[in-house]
Amino acid sequence: MNEMELLRELAQETPLPTPAELGPARARLAAAIATDPAAGRPAAAPEVTTDQPDPSAGQPVEPPQPPAPAPVRDAAKLMYGGAGGTVVQLIIVLFYIGDIKAYHLTAGGHTLSTAQLIHLRPVVATLAIAFGLVLIALWLWMARAVGQGKNWARVLSTVLFGLATLQLIGLHSAGQVFWAMLTWLTGLAAVWQLWRPASGAFFKSARALRSRPPSQISGP
Amino acid sequence: MRRREKSAAADDAAIIESSWREPERFAVLFDRHAPHIHRHLARRAGRQVADDLVAETFLAAFAKRDRYDLGHADARPWLYGIATNLVNQHRRDAARQYRIRQAAVAEPDVPGHADRVAADVTAQAMRTVLNAALAALPAGDRDVLLLIAWEQLTYQEVSRALAIPVGTVRSRLNRARTKTRQALAGTDAAATYEEITTNE
Repeated sequence: MNEMELLRELAQETPLPTPAELGPARARLAAAIATDPAAGRPAAAPEVTTDQPDPSAGQPVEPPQPPAPAPVRDAAKLMYGGAGGTVVQLIIVLFYIGDIKAYHLTAGGHTLSTAQLIHLRPVVATLAIAFGLVLIALWLWMARAVGQGKNWARVLSTVLFGLATLQLIGLHSAGQVFWAMLTWLTGLAAVWQLWRPASGAFFKSARALRSRPPSQISGP
Repeated sequence: MRRREKSAAADDAAIIESSWREPERFAVLFDRHAPHIHRHLARRAGRQVADDLVAETFLAAFAKRDRYDLGHADARPWLYGIATNLVNQHRRDAARQYRIRQAAVAEPDVPGHADRVAADVTAQAMRTVLNAALAALPAGDRDVLLLIAWEQLTYQEVSRALAIPVGTVRSRLNRARTKTRQALAGTDAAATYEEITTNE
């Protein structure tokens, strides 16, 4: 008899537990289930669909969404963090905009003169603010949409991340590289979370729920 | 038997996924797997400790169910992995380790037939030798050996349960088997037990 057979033989002395022995453990699990935030929030309650708007509200009603799993929640948090980082970046840019020198800017391949720079400084500031606000809006929009299980947002986020990667090319100053890398790494972490298996299942399930016919939206 | 268990476990992933929206569905997973997880824990730490750890295992699994990889239909390796971590954590508590060993030794014997008394006494001695051999193994090696010998998980399933490569599973199993064999070899109890079981 070898050691594996001996181990198996001795293991057979331990029988399966009786249901009574498992009772306390099951009760603890039941208590945890009862206090879970998703408990009692089901799909069972509302019989509403996008096809049958609530007449009293006059607006189409969104079908209930499954709760987002941790990776998607983490991705959304990272995106909100990205928006916060972009706000800080924007403030720093505006703070230092007075220090921009003529040789920092080119137009049509020609370096601008100091006089042209003085004339263009408000335009540069406006463009910086506009660009910053667009970036912030994109971060927030993507964070909200992925949290709602919109698969297009996951794809668009990935595309935007790809564009942000291209943006890394051609950076020179240490400050630029630092901020760009910080933003890029935040985006990378968010995109990675969005493509994890649990996230994929969530987006698939959210899409299936949205595409269900009205009669199937209610719970079991 | 094992195939039946596997097909029964085939929709574990679907149950876990549905428990994201309807947490009460997770109880199905408990009813399906808790007896086997409990028995594994009882074998490793004694029944009293198993009563507590089986609850901890399922509470931990429930808390992180949204991180479950739905690509794996069978949730048993995941649950055994959590249970193994909890047992090891428990063992690391030096103050309680003594109690665990006592509980394991004090496990009530299955009543035997009268003419098996001698064999039972020797089996008890073998159990003591085996327990000592297992206790002397590094935790990682012991986990692999017991999941394969007792729970009959495949190398791939153990790899998932312990989050280690399959190659590491093989090398750990080989090392654990060699050490256990060496510990058992040469003991009087082993020779006697072998003799009795061969003559039966």
